[in-house]
Amino acid sequence: MNTAGVRRTLVAIGLAAALLASWPVPAFPQAKRGGVLTFALYQEPETLNPYIATQTASFEVNVFTIEGLLGVGPDGEYFPLLAKEVPSRQNGGVSGDGKTITYHFKDGLKWSDGQPVTCDDVRFTWQAIVDPKSGASGTTGYRDIETVDCPSPSTVVVRYKTFYAPFLSRFDAIMPRHAAGDPAEMPRWAYNRKPVGTGPFTMLEWVSGDHITFIPNRYYREAGKPYLSAVIIRITPSREVGKQLIKTGEIDVLWDLVESDVPELQPAAGVKISSAPSSFAERLVLNLADPTLDGPPLDQVEKNPHPILGDPRVREAIELGINKQEIIDKLLFGLATIGTNELHIGWARCATKPSEYDPARARQLLEQAGWKPGSDGIRVAQGARYAKDGTRLRLKLQTTTGNKLREQAEQLLIDYMKQIGLEFYIENVPSPVLFGSWASGAFRKHGHFDVVLYTTNPDVDPQSQVEGYFASWSIPTAANSGAGFNYARWGNKTADENINLAKNSPDINARKKAYCAVMGEIVKDRPHIYLYDRSSIHAYRDRMQGWVTNVWDRLGWNAEDWSLR
Amino acid sequence: MGAYVLRRLVQAVPLLWLISLVVFLLLHVIPGGPMAAYENNPDMTAEDLHRLEHDLGLDAPLHVQYVRWLAALVHGDWGYSLASKRPVLVEIGDRLPNTVYLMGVATLVTLLLAIPIGIFSAVRQYSTLDHVVTTVAFMGHSIPIFWFGLILIIVFHVMLRNPLSGAPLFPGGGMYTLGMPFSLLDRLHHLVLPVGMLAVANAATYTRYTRASMLEVIGQDYIRTARAKGTPEPLVIWKHGLKNAATPVVTILALDLPALFAGAVFTETMFSWPGMGRLFIESAFRVDYALLMAIIMVTAALTVAFNLLADVTYAVLDPRIRYG
Repeated sequence: MNTAGVRRTLVAIGLAAALLASWPVPAFPQAKRGGVLTFALYQEPETLNPYIATQTASFEVNVFTIEGLLGVGPDGEYFPLLAKEVPSRQNGGVSGDGKTITYHFKDGLKWSDGQPVTCDDVRFTWQAIVDPKSGASGTTGYRDIETVDCPSPSTVVVRYKTFYAPFLSRFDAIMPRHAAGDPAEMPRWAYNRKPVGTGPFTMLEWVSGDHITFIPNRYYREAGKPYLSAVIIRITPSREVGKQLIKTGEIDVLWDLVESDVPELQPAAGVKISSAPSSFAERLVLNLADPTLDGPPLDQVEKNPHPILGDPRVREAIELGINKQEIIDKLLFGLATIGTNELHIGWARCATKPSEYDPARARQLLEQAGWKPGSDGIRVAQGARYAKDGTRLRLKLQTTTGNKLREQAEQLLIDYMKQIGLEFYIENVPSPVLFGSWASGAFRKHGHFDVVLYTTNPDVDPQSQVEGYFASWSIPTAANSGAGFNYARWGNKTADENINLAKNSPDINARKKAYCAVMGEIVKDRPHIYLYDRSSIHAYRDRMQGWVTNVWDRLGWNAEDWSLR
Repeated sequence: MGAYVLRRLVQAVPLLWLISLVVFLLLHVIPGGPMAAYENNPDMTAEDLHRLEHDLGLDAPLHVQYVRWLAALVHGDWGYSLASKRPVLVEIGDRLPNTVYLMGVATLVTLLLAIPIGIFSAVRQYSTLDHVVTTVAFMGHSIPIFWFGLILIIVFHVMLRNPLSGAPLFPGGGMYTLGMPFSLLDRLHHLVLPVGMLAVANAATYTRYTRASMLEVIGQDYIRTARAKGTPEPLVIWKHGLKNAATPVVTILALDLPALFAGAVFTETMFSWPGMGRLFIESAFRVDYALLMAIIMVTAALTVAFNLLADVTYAVLDPRIRYG
């Protein structure tokens, strides 16, 4: 080939590129009724079966078609979805002992294939979950059910063997018997990839790794809804890709942003940011036991407290020494609120006073606790309660690697602690190591740590979270093969009593009071120090209408009301 | 020849077995594991965890798990994905055509660009074009591919707009426009950036090999002889030259071909391409043993096979090479 030949080829390539570039991009219809909304997820659901799925993305997708008896609204209160009303003592839905719950279906409910929704589907859902071969992930609560009775096709009577306080949170997804399969074969059901539900949309196709398309469910109970003619879930490899796509308007909804994304997206034309306080709280978990012991049970913890953190005055000093507001302003662009306790939001919300930033008082507390300034400003023990004289006031601070926000927060924490004469040193680990199981020898489970920093959150019903993290029987030990999340190894009688009270009371107000009593003990005793409450942040294009933020449910919780301008 | 191929195939069996053992052990060294997804759910009781672990066969000792996997494989059963619970072959079957499509087009474009350019710059050694080609090839070879891909997206997707519709000049990801009926032009439109990124990076390598190998061949006596006896120049280059210069290029190509199956992790991730590269990454994050083992083993088997294919091709290209 000569030069002219090469030139000809290059020109031809250029022409071809120009031709492709000028190809018109299809425009979607943009009417009040109809229109295709594109929703970007940076995770692909592994399955849409709500009782097998573990990833949040699976629930963000199946919400368009799968519904339960009750939903949870933006205020964290239950509202009827398939049921006519939320069962209570007053309306006769809850028996005196709280063990028998009666639901009535709304009239004329149909599955997206036209079959009627009956009580038998609820019974089937229960049977599928508790079948030992079904591979259901969580069976809590469902195991406590003795039977599901069906006095009529539209009446469901759930009889619990023992009282189960979060009963309203069960059956948040109902599966159709006729369109599922043998419970023992649940992991292999075709339903898992193409569920039949009662929601406003029904699934058209799922192209692996690319997109999932939903079209309106023509049997949806609300006439004239949904407004959209399709919802396309676009699976992107990362949040970054989604950010570019929403800027160019190729997607309408972008799920799950972090605070640091906001300054980049806020100025973008046509992009709206939804930010609302969520139940997630970033906290320091303090180990109250001697970290050299392997998974000590409570009696061992009491005999062998942590040489530094075992003294409540030191824990108080740490909290008072942290400038929480500055962390929020500097690192979170003011988009979070000061952390207080586990239940800062929801129906069981318990408002406690945020801690004051008071380094002077913190230093005073450390003095009183027998920690005197050393030559380099870091304190050493001199008559401390549990530490030998001469022990340096030095603690290991750990979190997950690769999380920029947490790494920056650690830097601030080191700085704050230095000012009160406490030395934090960092030893971050990959998240599978931090969050590993007892069997894998994870240090968090076995109690080999001083302070760890991470986020967790209670569910709509906080029982499993409060009991799991703060009941003395939830301390992971060899005896219980590491079950439970009480990594602080905190044992508190008042908290234990109230956790049991909340667990066994059918009266919601009594439960609220009990939880608040637990929170009071946590705030006083500080097994966890709450830094800030994270916001739930998402973005959407301004051509979309009907967006209602609900941190208790998935973004598509009210998709039947969504429309495009 | 037949005996040689057979011997190589037989040798491949213990090799692949060894690979499977090492990979299996390495995967199980990764902290976390597939059960990690359940560990921090406060709604999961210890009994639930044990039951699931048992269902997935993860509670058995490691050697038992390996033998189970191997025994199933011998019977042609690749098992089920631990995350999606679907058969591994179905998962791969969903993604493989997309990867073959992307990588096939990219390889074709690469060769169509690289070989003529390489030959040309060898024939016209030290001409201006040769210097340009050599420099560009060197740059293409050195640019980190993930950085280059991002630059392509920023320039051709975010900055440049189609003057007619105002839409981005080229799509920043995906295989086609969602919600639109099949259109060949739309498909090609989506191919431009990812193929461009792969072609630039790979063509650089191929150009340099073609050029070097061609230069060596052009200096040989038989080329001079061919010219002396009056053979037309194109015939000298394309028949006498290229055929002899092709051997190293074929080697590189053979080593690259397993990527037709394995996909390009960076390219697919950057351009939201639903192919094998992304399937691999996603499975790695989920520590999906069954799926990871399958992808790695098939890639390993293809690498072995294509190496053999390369050796056989040598013999075809160069009659002096004999295998006995």
